[in-house]
Amino acid sequence: MSAKLERLSQILRIVLDGRLRSLAQDRGEITIEVGAEDYLAVARTLRDHAELRFEQLADLCGVDYSAYGNGKAACEPGRRFATVLHMLSIEHNWRLRLKVFSIDDNFPVLDSVCDLWPSANWDEREAFDLFGIMYSGHTDLRRILTDYGFVGHPLRKDFPVSGYTEMRYDAETERVIYQPVTIEPRENAPRVVREAGYGDTGHV
Amino acid sequence: MSIEGIFREGFVTTSMDTVINWMRTGSLWPVTFGLACCAIEMMHSGMARYDLDRFGIIFRASPRQSDVMVVAGTLTNKMAPAMRRVYDQLAEPRWVVSMGSCANGGGYYHYSYSVVRGCDRIVPVDVYVPGCPPTAEALLYGLLQLQNKIRRTSTIARR
Repeated sequence: MSAKLERLSQILRIVLDGRLRSLAQDRGEITIEVGAEDYLAVARTLRDHAELRFEQLADLCGVDYSAYGNGKAACEPGRRFATVLHMLSIEHNWRLRLKVFSIDDNFPVLDSVCDLWPSANWDEREAFDLFGIMYSGHTDLRRILTDYGFVGHPLRKDFPVSGYTEMRYDAETERVIYQPVTIEPRENAPRVVREAGYGDTGHV
Repeated sequence: MSIEGIFREGFVTTSMDTVINWMRTGSLWPVTFGLACCAIEMMHSGMARYDLDRFGIIFRASPRQSDVMVVAGTLTNKMAPAMRRVYDQLAEPRWVVSMGSCANGGGYYHYSYSVVRGCDRIVPVDVYVPGCPPTAEALLYGLLQLQNKIRRTSTIARR
């Protein structure tokens, strides 16, 4: 445990104080979790506070926890969809992971951080496309990866790998059309044998 | 009248179909349609070592100038309408070479929600080249097979 990480942890505890839900230090990385209601304010503090200065957002992605730990993680409501931000402070040479859970599992919404970091724009579109997490305040929340008119959010754990539709050319209408999937669903989760407690970091 | 003595005058006799097929096989111009890693192998076969130019195969940037389309790579749902449009823009006679496992039948992504399970669901295919990705020789062999296929067709003679 390096002194630098320790110092960053202390500063985070002091600056964020009551808004900090958890702070985990593992494998030389710091992960903090905040509530959805504090998210935007915390993000602004992380960027602007002189002791923190996380001026670069390296990544923003969604996570679906519904199958995590054999479903244990998502037992309680409001613990299914998380948004995870990786940020970098060039000034202090610090890295930080910020995790926020959306409150409503059926309609996950979160504030957009596009105004703080413009790089969040496409990342939030991607998380919206693949997980269906809405980012309020985003100016252009369209799908970014999947097909135009695609239905569903493919990285959700309840989305079948083969999807619901497939594509073929229809000679009568002379255009490419969608039709229901014709192949059998296939179980292709790898069989993995690991010792008990493998990868258990003690925090979600 | 015999044809004796005519060869010396610079004439040969042949059938129209032979001439047409000779022209078609000798100038197969593929439209550049690289989708994934197969496109890298397609470029290899076009470059100096395998040199598709010596078969008269010259890559074109426009379907209007092309005879054949090499579908090189994974065809996704999002790309499928665009590929069909390129195919429709090819002037007749036209041929399609499906290159690699993904284009042949979805390959590694067969069970994916976003990939077409074989480009023959979108366009009619003449030659399938297996491999993941196929080597440059394999694509070359596939194109030579396409030439053989074209030689078997007859445009004028009724058989």
